[in-house]
Amino acid sequence: MKLRNLTLVKLILTGLLLTGLIVPAFAASEAEIAKAEQAMSAKDYTTAITVLEAALQSDPDNIRAGSDYRQAIMRKSMAAHPKEGAPADFDRCVAFFEKLVAANPKASVAYLNYGFCSVDKIPAAGSITQVLLANAALGQFSKSIELKPSWIALYTRGNSYLYWPVIFGKAGLGVADLERAYGMQKSEPTRAYHQRLYISLGDGYWKTDNIDKARAIWKEGLSKFPDSKQIKARLDRKDDDLKSYIDDQLDPGKRVDTDLHEIWEAK
Amino acid sequence: MKRLALAVISFAGLGLVAQTKPAERWFEDITKKAGVDKKHTNRVFENPYATIMAGYTALGASVAVADYDGDGFDDVYTTDSKAGGKNHLWRNNHDLTFTDRAEAAGVANANEGDNAVADSMWFDFNNDGRPDLFVVKFGHSQLFENLGGGKFKDITKAAGLDRYSNAITAIAFDYDRDGKLDLFVGSYFQPINIFQPDSPRFFPESFETANNGGGLTAYHNLGGGKFADVTEKLGMKLSGWTLDLGHADADNDGFDDLYVACDFGTDRFFHNNGNGTFTDISEKAIGVDSKKGMNVDWGDYDNDGLLDIYVTNITDDYMREGNFLWHNNGNLTFSDVSRETATFETGWGWGSKFFDYDNDGWLDLYVMNGWVSAGKDSYVPDIFNMVTKPGIDFADARNWPPMGDKSLSGYEKKRLFHNDKGQIFKDEAARHGLDNKKDGRGIAIADFNNDGKLDIMSANASSEPNLFVNTMPSGRHWIQFLLEGKQSNRSAVGAQVRLKFGETTRLQYVSGGNSFAGQSTARVHFGLADTAKVDQIEVRWPTGQKEVFASVTVDKLNKIVEGTGKKVK
Repeated sequence: MKLRNLTLVKLILTGLLLTGLIVPAFAASEAEIAKAEQAMSAKDYTTAITVLEAALQSDPDNIRAGSDYRQAIMRKSMAAHPKEGAPADFDRCVAFFEKLVAANPKASVAYLNYGFCSVDKIPAAGSITQVLLANAALGQFSKSIELKPSWIALYTRGNSYLYWPVIFGKAGLGVADLERAYGMQKSEPTRAYHQRLYISLGDGYWKTDNIDKARAIWKEGLSKFPDSKQIKARLDRKDDDLKSYIDDQLDPGKRVDTDLHEIWEAK
Repeated sequence: MKRLALAVISFAGLGLVAQTKPAERWFEDITKKAGVDKKHTNRVFENPYATIMAGYTALGASVAVADYDGDGFDDVYTTDSKAGGKNHLWRNNHDLTFTDRAEAAGVANANEGDNAVADSMWFDFNNDGRPDLFVVKFGHSQLFENLGGGKFKDITKAAGLDRYSNAITAIAFDYDRDGKLDLFVGSYFQPINIFQPDSPRFFPESFETANNGGGLTAYHNLGGGKFADVTEKLGMKLSGWTLDLGHADADNDGFDDLYVACDFGTDRFFHNNGNGTFTDISEKAIGVDSKKGMNVDWGDYDNDGLLDIYVTNITDDYMREGNFLWHNNGNLTFSDVSRETATFETGWGWGSKFFDYDNDGWLDLYVMNGWVSAGKDSYVPDIFNMVTKPGIDFADARNWPPMGDKSLSGYEKKRLFHNDKGQIFKDEAARHGLDNKKDGRGIAIADFNNDGKLDIMSANASSEPNLFVNTMPSGRHWIQFLLEGKQSNRSAVGAQVRLKFGETTRLQYVSGGNSFAGQSTARVHFGLADTAKVDQIEVRWPTGQKEVFASVTVDKLNKIVEGTGKKVK
């Protein structure tokens, strides 16, 4: 991972804070995060993990430290076990956040990262464990929303619902979350990560058989992000072709990008 | 989407639904015409767990091919599983009709008492040239010696094979190259009497790493009609939920290796050490698997001279495991190329077989799918409600929800994957009328009418089998071999045949019953496309001896006897 311009990051985070997107996140020292990111660049994941655990203990809601920590866990796992890593490699992350939220029950971002730990583990797990992990993640995301209904928490839980098979009837819940997040983003300047919401909300409409609404939201998204290959790919497809594409995108066996750097890199 | 559905219904009403033209469809369903349309019925248990077990024992529809009467036409044995249900020995009448000779032969009855048939397999254990029959059961499996003249004798006890197990699959190959076929039996449940279990804790303890299943039992053929349990000696003591076994020589060292497909957990790969023992090299060979292995078949799908493996798993909306197409890397490791080759997703997979249905020289794949097709309600939420209960004991059958009339991955279509030069497969099942939605189980491939085109017989749970005759227009060349071992086991199981023409070499082998609930012809069949002449064939017999044969005839069945060719190193 490339080193990031910390001053710029601080400014961006301040901006996000002002818009109410995330909770304060500066108790963790910038030096600690920088040290961890340096270790990650050198593929010294063990050091990065140790440093970030310390940073999170002093600042559990630091979204960047939490995201970097999970990235370090994941990269270490994949380095040791090709493809998606081994399930046990992710247990440290789950156990760490379990303790962290127990010690900091109001830390909404920590709950978010706790849920993402389970999501990160899913591709490495067996098919039934995947369901258990997805279920656990939904619980953590719900707790995060309960504490603070931020855009990222609503988007995350809403998007998670879409990965469940239709038979479980969760897609409608996903649409509800995503529509709330959509309402939030409409009242703020366009940010790069908003593209994800347009994609997911459209997928949610598609999954609930509202194809016209799906196409409308994708079109709106494309007007904001004309270079979005993912939105274009959806608009270019119809019927079974579109179904195959979305099914493939929402395949729970495939790794979901849970790196939150877009949040603090947003303009 | 709804508009499209309405349009289709409207056209159907007018009789205008587009169908494949007969000339484009290369298989014809002749099940009824052939007289083999005898229904299989799942066993209904009568014990306190019966309503729960019903969902997990929809098994036992098998089909096994052999020329049991030596008349040059392949015959078929099909099984039933209901209490008192009869199995069928379909003698080939040489005109694509069959006559059931099971009662007269003494092989019809196998579902009495605490016995439910799960599979069947032919193997000539005594090298007398007559295929004998092993009937695999939840209960006491049976070995029937083929006495000739259409008669069989139950010799299970005398052979040392009489024991209770919940056997579900069997194959035979000569692991130690002593010239006699050894027997490998895979079992699903642990060896408790599941008809009257004395404890409710006999279900899988985990969905991904269950180790309370039946494992496998290896029997060494001692000769004289006797077998000895050598499972531990071979290093094969397992306790997984075995569903299928598949043998072949992965590293071309002359000794057949073994792949074990397990439900609820880890598939195993055993390398034959060549000294009468095996080593479990699963982690190195295939990694740590947590899927629901259902089927094992070996075949060189990319014509690189190494035998690859196809394993079915479960792929549905709620469980996206995907099948394995294990590409043989040549160093006792395999890489799953199922996604790249489009063989990843079929459904709830069962038996599958490599075979070249269009004689183009590339092995295609036919895949059975579907678990239980019943009412419109789905069993999926019930099972996931159970799975997500904290601290639940999966091993306790009482914790599993009854299935009732619900469906689970039912009404799934079968797939016929056409192999495009070893790169990618395309599903042609609908085109050829092979995409029915019965709950498919086993597949047997054979050339029932000796016309050089491979036919298909499939077994379906609680339904009639399907016999599809291959009606592809003539034109492409082919060649078949029937091998007879002398030093090797007589039916030459494990022999490898390398066919050479120009710069091309093609590899096939004689299978001892590979693939779930199905056994194909003992013949080796090569599609040759437009190749009208073969330069030579090389046979590596199960003893390890190689011989080449120059005078083989294309578009014909060639009988090859060990010791009559030119020996080569």
